[in-house]
Amino acid sequence: MTTGMERLAAAVKGARSDRIPVFCNLFDQGARELGISSIEEYYSKGENVAEAQLAMQKKYGYDNLWNLFFVGKEAELFGCRKIIFANDGSPNVGEFVIKGYDDIHKLEAPVELESHPQFAECIKCMEILVRENKGEQPIIAYVTASMTLPVILMGMDNWLELLLAGPAEVRDELIAKCCEYVRAHIAYQIKAGADCIVYANPFASTSILPMSMVEELSFPWMEKDIAGFDRGSMVFYCGGAAFNNVIEKVIERLGLLNFYLSPMADIAEGRRIVDGRGLVCGAFDDMKLLHWGREEIRREVKRIIDAGMPGNRFAFGVQGMPLGIPEDNIHYMLEAAFEFGRQDG
Amino acid sequence: MQDISELQKSYFHALCELDEKKTSSLIEGALAGGVKPDELLIKVVIPSIDQMNEELIMGQEINLAQHYLSAKISESIAMKLLDQVQTAGECPGCVVIGTAVGDFHGLGKKIVIACLRAHMFKVIDAGTHVSPEAFVDLAIENNAQVIGISSMMAHTATGPNGALGVRKILRERELEGKIKIMVGGAPFRFDHGLYEHVNADGWGENGLEAVATAKRLIKEVEG
Repeated sequence: MTTGMERLAAAVKGARSDRIPVFCNLFDQGARELGISSIEEYYSKGENVAEAQLAMQKKYGYDNLWNLFFVGKEAELFGCRKIIFANDGSPNVGEFVIKGYDDIHKLEAPVELESHPQFAECIKCMEILVRENKGEQPIIAYVTASMTLPVILMGMDNWLELLLAGPAEVRDELIAKCCEYVRAHIAYQIKAGADCIVYANPFASTSILPMSMVEELSFPWMEKDIAGFDRGSMVFYCGGAAFNNVIEKVIERLGLLNFYLSPMADIAEGRRIVDGRGLVCGAFDDMKLLHWGREEIRREVKRIIDAGMPGNRFAFGVQGMPLGIPEDNIHYMLEAAFEFGRQDG
Repeated sequence: MQDISELQKSYFHALCELDEKKTSSLIEGALAGGVKPDELLIKVVIPSIDQMNEELIMGQEINLAQHYLSAKISESIAMKLLDQVQTAGECPGCVVIGTAVGDFHGLGKKIVIACLRAHMFKVIDAGTHVSPEAFVDLAIENNAQVIGISSMMAHTATGPNGALGVRKILRERELEGKIKIMVGGAPFRFDHGLYEHVNADGWGENGLEAVATAKRLIKEVEG
């Protein structure tokens, strides 16, 4: 039986497999899968996250495993001790570690990840995934870029104000500290066995910043974030924001060739720009899965695959899959992706 | 006396550049030159934020940073001008706005508040993590015609403690004709039909749309 790893390897090379790779990003659903009623309890143990990732992959049959807890987890590494857990959705950062510029001066980048108490469960999770998976499914790690990390450290509004109207030296001091952590994070994930690094930076999208700032500020920091690391296993992503208009610059300046498009992106256009130089993943807008029916879901999956599949080097994916999505709808989406994404017929 | 249309052009240009100092100095200069604050508000500040948002949206060039800072600049100037207006301007109505329970993302709310205030709405900022009961109580207390609920996350947008919870209370207290619900935030931008599923009366993709939706809903209440 073909494994997810084989499908991904074929897609990256532009070869055919039984079908295109299908990525499904289930996180908070892991608690339900293990019958744990509290999401806080679920995320308290790396064993839980690893067990649920393995169980959900087997149950649904998609082609990836995540070594990712929740996005706010990175704030804990920087000192945040207040995460607000809900039982019907993702955890929130409840208190920002940066309340003023002094906090930026005092901030220490968590670079010794392997001995960091807040990272211990992530390490456990990764060890189990690597051991149990035996190389069958790609293990994916999520790395938040240095330009984006300040959002969970000081809030989006405060970060935008510092970024656009604050003192440049304070802004750069903060990004530099985040960059130190990002580099340590990428190094750990590669060493620990991640097959793929999703490098996420909404601040590289012109939906968030003007193009001039993307080019003059975001790109230089992205260059620093990933300098010296193998680009072949990295995927560029803007956290759901559209970024077709920066793809060419990403290829030229960062040497990244694989792209996880926004659900709002024109997939065919994204494919044309990448032009076979790397893998393109077209994303389903999973908010629609909250209330769509089977036929609507199938039509949308077919639209995405029809737009992206010709010429190979294409994968099907989703966004962050809200917990409220009915299980039936996850099955409908995946069965359609497996069917329309067949390559052996 | 300064030519008001020329002033509007200069102010609009400074706003597009997000140049807070220039926008302030233009307004202060005009006030010193004898232009009335209400005239500045109606003929300079409001048309400029509208024009900027319209042009950015039409050209699909709008970005969050510009939207946030321009709204903030406009709000600050509008509030200063409103303090100097002798007779009360035409307040379109009152909006209570906050984020749903469990949601601590306040940026979208701030943008909408700034745009509403720049358009002379009375706005009650309910803060973040607001219960349905608190939304309704604040609306009653302030005679607000609209409750605005901002959500960044799917579960806070669609859960029972967001718009669905507010709707339930309005129905139970027979207030649906007097208080309308509008929503906004990332989940609604990804799914334009989602506002109907959470029983809201309208939604706004950005600050400008939120102003238009609030105006429409207030008309419905008053009509």
